[in-house]
Amino acid sequence: MGDDHISKDRAEEHAVKEYRSGMPATPPSGPYEESAERASRTLWGDAWGRLRRNRLALVALGWLVIVAIAAVSADAWVPRVFGSPIRIDTVRAMRDRLQNPSFAHPLGTDDLGRDIFARVVYGSRISLSVGILAVMVSVVIGLILGSLSGYYSGFVDTLIMRVADVFLAFPYILFAILLLSVLPKSQRGIVPVFLTIGVLGWPSIARVFRSSILSVKENDYIDAGRALGASDLRLMMRHIMPNAIAPIVVYATMSVGGAILTEAALSFLGLGIAPPTPSWGRMIEDGRVYLTSNPGLVFWPGLAILSTVLAFTLLGDGIRDALDVKLKD
Amino acid sequence: MFRYLIRRVVQFIPVFFGVTLLLFFITTILPGDPVALRAGEKSISPAVYREIRKEFGLDKPWYVQYGVYLKQLAHGDLGTSIYTGRKVAVIFKETYPYTMRLAFAAILIEILVGVGAGIVSAVRQYSIWDMLVTLSTSVLVALPVFWLGLMLQYFFGILLRNWTGATFFLPISGASGSVFPSWVHLILPSITLASVSTAYAARIMRSQLLEVAGQDYVRTAYAKGLTGGGVLWGHEMKNALIPVVTFIGLDLGGMLSGAILTETVFNWPGVGFTIYRAIGARDYPVVFGGVALVLFAVLTVNLLVDLSYAFLDPRIRYGEGTGE
Amino acid sequence: MTEGLLKVDGLKMYFHTRDGVVKAVDGVSYSLDRGETLGVVGESGSGKSVTALTMMRLIPMPPGKVEGGDVLFKGESLLAMKEDDVRHIRGNRIAMIFQDPMTSLNPVYRIGHQIAEPLMIHKGMSRREAWSRGLELLDLVGIPNPSQRARDYPHQFSGGMRQRAMIAMALACDPDILIADEPTTALDVTIQAQILELMVELQAKTGSAIILITHDLGVVADMADRILVMYAGRPVEYGAAETVFYTPLHPYTWGLLDSLPRYDIEDKGELCPIDGQPPSLIDVPSGCAFHPRCPHARDRCRVETPVLREVASGHHSACHFSDDPSFRRENVACRVGGA
Repeated sequence: MGDDHISKDRAEEHAVKEYRSGMPATPPSGPYEESAERASRTLWGDAWGRLRRNRLALVALGWLVIVAIAAVSADAWVPRVFGSPIRIDTVRAMRDRLQNPSFAHPLGTDDLGRDIFARVVYGSRISLSVGILAVMVSVVIGLILGSLSGYYSGFVDTLIMRVADVFLAFPYILFAILLLSVLPKSQRGIVPVFLTIGVLGWPSIARVFRSSILSVKENDYIDAGRALGASDLRLMMRHIMPNAIAPIVVYATMSVGGAILTEAALSFLGLGIAPPTPSWGRMIEDGRVYLTSNPGLVFWPGLAILSTVLAFTLLGDGIRDALDVKLKD
Repeated sequence: MFRYLIRRVVQFIPVFFGVTLLLFFITTILPGDPVALRAGEKSISPAVYREIRKEFGLDKPWYVQYGVYLKQLAHGDLGTSIYTGRKVAVIFKETYPYTMRLAFAAILIEILVGVGAGIVSAVRQYSIWDMLVTLSTSVLVALPVFWLGLMLQYFFGILLRNWTGATFFLPISGASGSVFPSWVHLILPSITLASVSTAYAARIMRSQLLEVAGQDYVRTAYAKGLTGGGVLWGHEMKNALIPVVTFIGLDLGGMLSGAILTETVFNWPGVGFTIYRAIGARDYPVVFGGVALVLFAVLTVNLLVDLSYAFLDPRIRYGEGTGE
Repeated sequence: MTEGLLKVDGLKMYFHTRDGVVKAVDGVSYSLDRGETLGVVGESGSGKSVTALTMMRLIPMPPGKVEGGDVLFKGESLLAMKEDDVRHIRGNRIAMIFQDPMTSLNPVYRIGHQIAEPLMIHKGMSRREAWSRGLELLDLVGIPNPSQRARDYPHQFSGGMRQRAMIAMALACDPDILIADEPTTALDVTIQAQILELMVELQAKTGSAIILITHDLGVVADMADRILVMYAGRPVEYGAAETVFYTPLHPYTWGLLDSLPRYDIEDKGELCPIDGQPPSLIDVPSGCAFHPRCPHARDRCRVETPVLREVASGHHSACHFSDDPSFRRENVACRVGGA
């Protein structure tokens, strides 16, 4: 990789492109690639203990658990207490529209009489699922391509890295706009959204994984293993995976936040989840018209986005610190 | 240095073609009905359909179409708007100055506020400033940009208006058309657009400064008898700034695409707003053209940033040493 | 005897960390006269570098803290001085060069600029004057073609040349003391000799005193007038170079000497390295810090902390048994493994 060393040095020392392209990654204290190498000496139990001591991360985790429980259990209690957040009922719409916060409707109602709190809770289902599914797509693609690239260097490696460059050149929103606007109305839904976001996110994961592989490949014990007849796959699983998992977990956690933001933006622009399904981004767009009189329509969904994304970011930070503390000598 | 420059340019070429290929693929091959994407979704007779198809060269094999696409791009032909019938390129020629102004103002804020906050935060590590900066950047980074814009609109455009009787800021109405001179209209949108980038810039500046502070040459500088300020500006900044400058350049891509959201919220008549309206109107050529335009702008800036690295870092500018 | 140039008196510097108190420097005393060369020898972690950094007030004071003792430069306390006054001494009256010249030089500034910097700060020279004086200095340290090389960046120099440049930078203001912290460790063996030779040459010309810090006894062999051997933050032997070399008193020094391959002795027995690892400075062994690794240790060594005291004229040792004339190197067998 001699000819590539400067670009590799710079790109991985200051993984700058990845900071911005839609998935907020806090600038690492050290490149993820380095921590991959050293993570081999980390015990997960140890890290968990350290994470427990990080109060901020715990609060974040707690909040996410609350949101997750609310999202999963929503069907059971929300419609009963607050009325359906999805169904449009003209009678209700006339009677209950745009009400201020009250005991019956703690956050007020929207222009169709639906309870805002209920819609925000339901919106969490979309955001969380899109966020997590998108990241899973990125991780799967990234792991596969990253391992192919790292393991079978040479032409395959260069090719995959070039393709990665192409994908990295696309800012998230633009790519998503392109793909989603091409989609016929009938096929809109949650699947294209998370697929689109996920498909853009693989290069970063691939890069991290690839350099873990590269650094481990140098080690002699790989050769020793091969001399003993271990198959490539086995080598990959036993030796490379444990090292590489740590930084990927950190990156993935923080990426969920970015995916949620992207989904919100897309819904805001009208390309994401279609109404009447509540999506936080969509709610903001719908509520825009009433900003002057009922700012709550815009405020609450936005606050929901903010708190959830922030929680993922802080959690990711916490996980990284928990794994990293041992590495800071 | 030249070797570095050439290598970067050479690496850029396949990426450029890859991007155009991807664009082409998404706008022509992928969709079920490329005709509708160019001529509108009105229902037309099969005969007209075939004619239109031929007119747009959609009956040719894909590689020929790709070649035509490239040729059109080279000539600056981005297609024709379904809605207005005007050339897409012309439409954007009118609107991009607004986006430029917005982006310029936002970058200014990013540099002054972001880099400044990063410096203060690093120099006064663990102080109240540092905590403030770290906290606010964490929040800003998690903020949906369009929501921030709306909140700013509400606070400065509506609440403040109510409280002070007289108006203070104008939320919408694009770039002009109110009691205020046009630059005032720029304030809220540019703050909104700059927000996330500023947060990142501050964090990177901070972490770079902290990292540099631990370097051996900083210790040498103190050993030579420099003051804290002398070490900061004479030794640390120049090293720490290199990645920060690189970030600001590379972040332009994020900023331009974020502009779509900001312009939409503030009705700012730039490229982003145009794309947004086109999405709603299903005016695909405008959408595709706009995205392509922004994309190429981003690519160009990224390439320039890459190349500029050669000038910023003496280790690259002067290559490997002559040695003993 | 001229007035002492530098006097370190029972200096103690501890680091207060989350894991405990690190006793980095624990009661070090020595003195330095004009034109003298002192060799400070010890393993990594012996406190030899930290003593020098403490002297220059380059240690961040949380977590570090001076717990006792003082350092007097020309009669004035370096530790009590105001920061502004210390700054005028740094790089000016006392200069320091460090181990790795690649990382110790700022990569984004030209060599000439970095050498000119102390001149501009301390001597008030203009940029032009400082630059041309810098060229003279580069010539002095043996760098060919100074006017061209001064415009180079550190990465364009080889390791040996970088160290020469650092020496030039340190000597710019004609300091009274040059502290060289492991100046040759990061260099090739052939270059090492050149650099040491250079330092000797320059010392003859400028008359500055040198504190040469190293883990390698061989390095100080020719250069030092006096030698201080340190272990676990404490001084264990101190005296004229010849006496320390030929009639060492402390078992640790014996171990260091025995670890050196000697080409000048007829009977080349086995190499006798010191067993074990340097101790943690948080959990310093009780009594004599060296006792766990000392082949001659007895019960007393575990209990009682020895003090550095004068055993023969000008020759100090911190071993309980140094007073016993029969406890000398030639009389005791080399036994690997503690007693």
